Amino acid sequence: MFNLDWHGVLTGLPLQWIISGFLTTIWVSLAGMALATVLAVLFLALRLAGGAGGRAVVAAWVSVFRNTPLLVQLLFWYFAAWNLLPLAVRDFVNADHAWSILPGDVWWLTPEFLCSAWGLGVFTSAFLIEEIEAGLSAVSHGQREAALSQGFSTWALFRCVLLPQGLANAWQPIVGQYLNLMKLSSLASGIGFAELTYQVRQIESYNAHALEAFAVGTVLYLLLGVVMGVVLASAEPGKRRKKALTQRAFVQSEVQRDR
Amino acid sequence: MLAGLITRSAASSADFSHLEQARVEFRDVVKQYGDHRVLNGINLTINPGEVVAILGPSGSGKSTLIRLINQLEPLSGGDILIDNKPTRGIEGRALRELRSRVGFVFQQFNLYAHLTARQNITLALVQVHGWKQAAADERARELLQQVGLADKADQLPAQLSGGQQQRVAIARALASSPQIILFDEPTSALDPEMIGEVLYVMKTLAHSGITMIVVTHEMQFAREIADRVVFIDGGDILEVAAPATFFTAPEHPRAQRFLKKVLDPLHQERPD
Repeated sequence: MFNLDWHGVLTGLPLQWIISGFLTTIWVSLAGMALATVLAVLFLALRLAGGAGGRAVVAAWVSVFRNTPLLVQLLFWYFAAWNLLPLAVRDFVNADHAWSILPGDVWWLTPEFLCSAWGLGVFTSAFLIEEIEAGLSAVSHGQREAALSQGFSTWALFRCVLLPQGLANAWQPIVGQYLNLMKLSSLASGIGFAELTYQVRQIESYNAHALEAFAVGTVLYLLLGVVMGVVLASAEPGKRRKKALTQRAFVQSEVQRDR
Repeated sequence: MLAGLITRSAASSADFSHLEQARVEFRDVVKQYGDHRVLNGINLTINPGEVVAILGPSGSGKSTLIRLINQLEPLSGGDILIDNKPTRGIEGRALRELRSRVGFVFQQFNLYAHLTARQNITLALVQVHGWKQAAADERARELLQQVGLADKADQLPAQLSGGQQQRVAIARALASSPQIILFDEPTSALDPEMIGEVLYVMKTLAHSGITMIVVTHEMQFAREIADRVVFIDGGDILEVAAPATFFTAPEHPRAQRFLKKVLDPLHQERPD
């Protein structure tokens, strides 16, 4: 039988690494989610209002980032694209800035954090675009006509009428993408980003407690995933509407039974 | 020729943010989908404050006719003048202003499914007309009262009956005080029991100064409330008459047959 030594993981330096890695994973996931959401909404608006050129740009974006491995994309952003930035920008990011420290002592203004959040955000946006699009196309044409007949501009129509309903339609797949983003952040260890997986491996090479370290890492991912799942499910748009529809269906079936 | 040029240039600069006269004038209006002609040169003038019922068999082009007014469908030929200004080819801001001055009530209600009755009314007031939310809420309260649904303000469309939804939709169309309101078969999707409550609301609107153009199969509404009846078939206006004349002594043979079938469906000649 294995002789598990939790003490070697949950005390001292290894514990500090795990905590730091866990918080880093949380922060980069949040940043990536925010970025992916903003990008997806902007690209959807571009597809809706940008004409043929806009649609072509969105199609290319989705195609490139959905059909190439995330690890390759991260390596590209970190080792290739990063060096194309002006030197002044890179020097600024590399310098120490006290204001860039997030709670938990996570530094966001570093090449590793920025490339990871950007890479994860861009990758996930490609999936979100298509899933929200599917949700949007399930919104009935009459909703669009009603808004047009009231004089809504294309953007207001999208923001006030189509998007809320499209998001509600596509919410479960969207939650899945956010959870994927969180888990895929482990790939950022490939560019030396000190998130949870990176730190777990560091413990392994520090005191060879591989099994214990990976077990703790796995439990933390699981915990984070479950919490995110619950939070995102409770944030579901249009929950009240779905409830109302179910109640109505129930009442109708009751009425039919009465007949 | 010259007049055509002048009106064309006026179209681009036309200001539809306020209508002096809620008159709608069709001039040789043609609508076709590909090779299929739905309207062949319609000429019709609807006066400010008038209530006009548009009757005709299904597929006769009557819905298309009113959808051309606020350009839910683009025009293929001719022109439509609103407030004596040509609307052909207007787009962008001018088109949005025109639409915001013309209410539209759909057969399938088309209430915003994710919003409550109140929010359905306030959304355009805030987003299109720039009202403060509080003022819009107050306006919504008045309108819901007017259509008899004050107690349903916080209900979602899915929680309302068809008749209630259509009344909210009428309140929504009235929110910005349009001078023209278009009804596209407003009672056709309703249970028979619920038609009355919607017609009642429409009746209270009639002759209140708002121009009403109503595509309908409700003969009683056309007979009792409309000022004029327009009968369309096959993309042509076949008869325009006062309801008293139209329902008692229709001139066009097609209108005679239509009325016989609609008003007396049990006693008609056997189809060949």
